[in-house]
Amino acid sequence: MAKEMIAMLLAGGQGSRLYALTQKLAKPAVPFGGKYRIIDFPLSNCVNSGIDTVGILTQYQPLVLNEYIGNGQPWDLDRLHGGVHVLPPYQQASGSDWYKGTANAIYQNIPFIERYDPQYVIILSGDQICKQDYSDFLRFHKEKGAEFSVAVMEVPWDEASRFGLMVADENDKITEFQEKPKNPKSNLASMGIYIFNWDILKKYLEEDEADPNSENDFGNNIIPNLLKDGRQMYAYHFSGYWKDVGTISSLWEANMEVLDPENSGINLFDENWKIYSRNSGMTGHRISSDATVENSMITDGCRISGEIKHSILFAGVIVEKGAVIEDAVVMGGTVIKAGAVVKHCIIAENVTIGAGAVVGAMPTEDQKGVATVGSGVSIGAGAVIGPNAMVSKDVKGGEEQW
Amino acid sequence: MVNSNANALGIIFPNSYDSMVPELVGDRLMASIPFAGRYRMVDFILSSMVNSGIDNISLIVRKNYHSLMDHLGSGREWDLTRKNGGLNIVPPFAEKTVKVYNGRVEALASILQFLKSQKEKYVVMADTNLAVNFDFKAFIDAHIASGADVTMAYTEEMVPESMLESQASINSMYYNLDLDGTRVKEIHINSRAIGLQKMSMNIYIISREMLINQVREAYIRGYVYMERDILAPNLDSLNVQAYKYDGYLARIRDIRSYFEENMKLLDEKNLDALFSGGPIYTKIRDDNPTRYINGSKAKNIMAADGCVIGGEVENSVLFRGVKIGKGAKVKNCVLMQDTVIEAGASVENIITDKNVTITFGKEVKGTDTFPVYIAKNQTV
Repeated sequence: MAKEMIAMLLAGGQGSRLYALTQKLAKPAVPFGGKYRIIDFPLSNCVNSGIDTVGILTQYQPLVLNEYIGNGQPWDLDRLHGGVHVLPPYQQASGSDWYKGTANAIYQNIPFIERYDPQYVIILSGDQICKQDYSDFLRFHKEKGAEFSVAVMEVPWDEASRFGLMVADENDKITEFQEKPKNPKSNLASMGIYIFNWDILKKYLEEDEADPNSENDFGNNIIPNLLKDGRQMYAYHFSGYWKDVGTISSLWEANMEVLDPENSGINLFDENWKIYSRNSGMTGHRISSDATVENSMITDGCRISGEIKHSILFAGVIVEKGAVIEDAVVMGGTVIKAGAVVKHCIIAENVTIGAGAVVGAMPTEDQKGVATVGSGVSIGAGAVIGPNAMVSKDVKGGEEQW
Repeated sequence: MVNSNANALGIIFPNSYDSMVPELVGDRLMASIPFAGRYRMVDFILSSMVNSGIDNISLIVRKNYHSLMDHLGSGREWDLTRKNGGLNIVPPFAEKTVKVYNGRVEALASILQFLKSQKEKYVVMADTNLAVNFDFKAFIDAHIASGADVTMAYTEEMVPESMLESQASINSMYYNLDLDGTRVKEIHINSRAIGLQKMSMNIYIISREMLINQVREAYIRGYVYMERDILAPNLDSLNVQAYKYDGYLARIRDIRSYFEENMKLLDEKNLDALFSGGPIYTKIRDDNPTRYINGSKAKNIMAADGCVIGGEVENSVLFRGVKIGKGAKVKNCVLMQDTVIEAGASVENIITDKNVTITFGKEVKGTDTFPVYIAKNQTV
């Protein structure tokens, strides 16, 4: 049974710029927004857009991600025909290959795609926070008679040189592609989301694989080759919320933006575009008589007796009496003991912050760092973690780390 | 939990004691009454069975079961989507010999064919008016070890006044036990004895074969109730053992106890006691986390996901998706899912059912001994 469009989700990114957060975890599995993981966004977008077949390409630290995806049931992607499939690199008769690049990852899974005989393939990225209707993108692709379309965002001109840019004419037809240019001719940044006609994609993947000098990358090889051959290429304008959460500061910022949906544009309270996730199964959260909670998000399993300001707490976080938490992202299962002060930072899963310890600090003129504590770390009583610290090993009581 | 499947199948009676909480069962049944922020009553006994390795569970429904079917779906959330066994909802079977049942005997008579075709050696039975984290494994083991014909679980508790006073019909009988050692000597029905009593939890285990025989015999004689007609008159010939349960228990017997049992969970000792055993599963709603907006104040509350809190909340239990507007005041309340308290409204000692709206500036107050109940979908 043929599918009109299937999705291939690139989730192999190491996320090395998230340091302590991705030591044991692929970037798409990084927790986000109180009860989600980054990958919930593209997966929920797929389901909400009517795409029921998704291949997830993994290779770095896939354990948590594999377990999280499971049979895809939380996203309604457990299907008789199609559904979600995790696709790691595998051994073949001719030997085994890691995915050499984004294009190679898709190339190695051509047999998977062909099982569904799709007309179109949408390539998604597993490290963005974005609510997007891919069916509208496909409508655009079909209307333009395109062979390839890319979703683009207008970015401020002074930041344009940080992005891969699409130069397009008044009909949105792409005439040129600039990868992080010094002198940008456009402010249309590629979001790394592409729709291909499958026959075109297959042809270019095979040609790219045969080229020994290729980096097997969509941005560096496939798109320039399509341009060179004068293919029908169009830029689809997207104007909603979009954030690449590849760095500690952008991840922290995006979480804080969730707290302000009225102004930031990222509304998780949208009944018409739900973001699905695997549920913690914990009971409702408790706010005790000793607690104060201001402008924050709190989810199941939390027990709050301290002071919470402008923070996001994930499932099962325990905050003891007298602890103060401000501008912080605190992931699931973390325990913050009495009197600890936790500010302007990201605390990963299952961390223990000892009594009276200090983690991070509110930003000043000189430093705007987001202190980060990796998963499973134990911070001893009275320890001090500086605002620029990146902690991935236990810190003993009373010690300092900057 | 390596292959810890119990050699027992489960039967749940979701309509038992409906008549004690007429307000809450207007268009639902005991089993689907929301409880403890994000659960329904049935979740507790159902999860307890699943956690004890029982994976063949039938619910014999009587009426008003749409909400229950919606809640349970295919049973996936309880891991009961199984090829063999799994979840089995048995609606009343339109047949000339079996009417909509009244008592357990009639209910079981309607599934005799099913019971005969099953493989499990034992049958455990329960109602849904108790929120308990019950260890059925220990219960089954105790039954096997004692060699009893029937084992029934009981608790020692003060008989609540409401039960004594209640004009409770024949459909909400309760049973006190007299024991000789651990053997049940006498079963008192709707006893008026006060003080500490051994109250039956209506949780039973009996071998499948014996159950089939007893039900068949009783049904032929026109008997209706298992306790009154099978157990109580035959305590000499049947070895009925009592099994004492010491754990946490919330018994829903009227609207006031419903209010109090929710409120009791604000004490973390109670909350931990109820949830410290196996996990309690429930239907997933995919709500976002609860959001506390600037200017909100929350003290001593339990809240499920999906709430947006802009006002002041104190001593309250908030179910999923409750919205509390700016400047609204909520004190000593149980607000069921998707209740909206609009800005400036003030509520105290009330229970709102699902989808209730208290509009701008309105004031609704009950007293601590008589909470005001506002029915489903009403707007004040």
